[in-house]
Amino acid sequence: MVDLTNGEVLALAKASNITIPDDLVTEVRDSLNGLLEALEAIEEPDVSGIQPLPIIVSATARKQEAQ
Amino acid sequence: MADNNLCYLSATELGEKIAAGEISSVEVTEAYLERIAQLDGNYASYITVTAERAREDARRADAEIAAGNRRGPLHGVPVAVKDQFDTAGILTTNGSTILGENIPDADATIMTRLKEAGTVLLGKLNMSEYASGDAFWHPYGRPRNPWDTRRNPGTSSSGSGAATAAFLCATSLGEDTGGSIRGPAAFCGLVGIRPTLGLVSRHGVFGASWSMDTAGPISRTVTDCAHTLAAIAGHDPNDPQTWDVPAPDYAAALDGNIRGLKLGIVTERVHTDANDPEVQDAVIAATQVLAGLGAEVSDVSLPLIVNSSEISYAIISSDAAMLNWDIISTERLRDLDHNNQVRLLMGSVIPATAYQKAMRLRDALRRQILAALEDVDALIMPASSVPATLIPETTGLGTKADVIAGFKGRRGFTAPFNLANLPALSINCGFTASGLPIGLQIAGRAFDETTLFRLAYAYEQATDWGERRPPGV
Repeated sequence: MVDLTNGEVLALAKASNITIPDDLVTEVRDSLNGLLEALEAIEEPDVSGIQPLPIIVSATARKQEAQ
Repeated sequence: MADNNLCYLSATELGEKIAAGEISSVEVTEAYLERIAQLDGNYASYITVTAERAREDARRADAEIAAGNRRGPLHGVPVAVKDQFDTAGILTTNGSTILGENIPDADATIMTRLKEAGTVLLGKLNMSEYASGDAFWHPYGRPRNPWDTRRNPGTSSSGSGAATAAFLCATSLGEDTGGSIRGPAAFCGLVGIRPTLGLVSRHGVFGASWSMDTAGPISRTVTDCAHTLAAIAGHDPNDPQTWDVPAPDYAAALDGNIRGLKLGIVTERVHTDANDPEVQDAVIAATQVLAGLGAEVSDVSLPLIVNSSEISYAIISSDAAMLNWDIISTERLRDLDHNNQVRLLMGSVIPATAYQKAMRLRDALRRQILAALEDVDALIMPASSVPATLIPETTGLGTKADVIAGFKGRRGFTAPFNLANLPALSINCGFTASGLPIGLQIAGRAFDETTLFRLAYAYEQATDWGERRPPGV
């Protein structure tokens, strides 16, 4: 994947309504590019049927596991 | 002068001796307060010492016990807690100067539970700012590892690890979002458990990630850890994530018998070059001890576990940014540690596509772990790929290559069970040639902390690692 530039990171920040101070932009960019590249590199199993729920222990599973 | 030897007793022994009238809670409390005053300059484990509150708690405990009203095994026992938990009328900083004058009106539920158990509060423990393991700057002093003060005691419950290992409290509480209980336990030669999400209330606990934050104990023995968890566990109407399931008497199940329990060695995390060789050898030796005690040991494979660090980093960074939006969207951002500024800003601009991929991978990993736990009772692997690391001398998260390389490190050993919301425990399983502790991690099914304690207790009884003390301690 192509790395994001400082300008693109600043644009993302603007869209999020935050300001990234000038002295931090390059570090934020490097940190974000590192994370995105690492995620991109994961050989993804079939996740087409998986709902990305924020709380992943369902009530049913919890009750079963607690018994 | 108070009797310093009292501080070397376990929390369980202290509770028994106080109940039997052999010693008083006031005596023990004075011993700890004196020891903290003498030694904590070496470790910076406390942010606030609550001496008068401790004395008041101790006097009350002695009076109640004398009147025949013993509350439980920790009645009269001095404890300390991470400064991430609200304490009514007591400074609660979350490790940051931003909260340098924050005095809550009410206790976190777990603090109420500790009070109901009759414990004595010695104080609030140092921690990484906002519970972020990336923080470099520690405004209340840099916590140091009692086994080697040049080294980190683990993050982010750094003070909990250091104070417990240095015998500056009988047992402690930490909080584990990505490994912040098991990391300090491993680095400091202690027993720490991250409970199942939903077993322990988060009400009044500063958050780092909605779906991963869990408070739990860091202790010197398995029995102490079991008693401490029992004291704080249970449903809380103020925390919608807690479940109304009974908290067992974990300690009652500790009979040393693990015959027939099935253990899965996580091959991707045990048989890997990612481990320091001494860590790998110690963990393999520990599995042999467990097998010798009658456990049935086999290998299991969890392919996605090797990616758990980057998966959790995406989710926690985003959650932490949103939880602290009132800081990062204002000038107060600049009051944070440099690394935390970078990480929270990064977390606020992660594209939705990446976040959603991380969430799906999270569930895929959890399914792999749950499938393995259908065949075995617990999973075994190191709590950390390396022993305690040297305290860094410079700040900064590094280059893109550094960030990627960091994902192959120790975070990926604790993160899987945060992602899966499952319980995981670290217990000391030996030392490096240079005398640094090594952590064995035991993880299990939701709400089955009892099995983890049983395994850890049997291992503890079969070995003598727990008899060593840090140098000079």
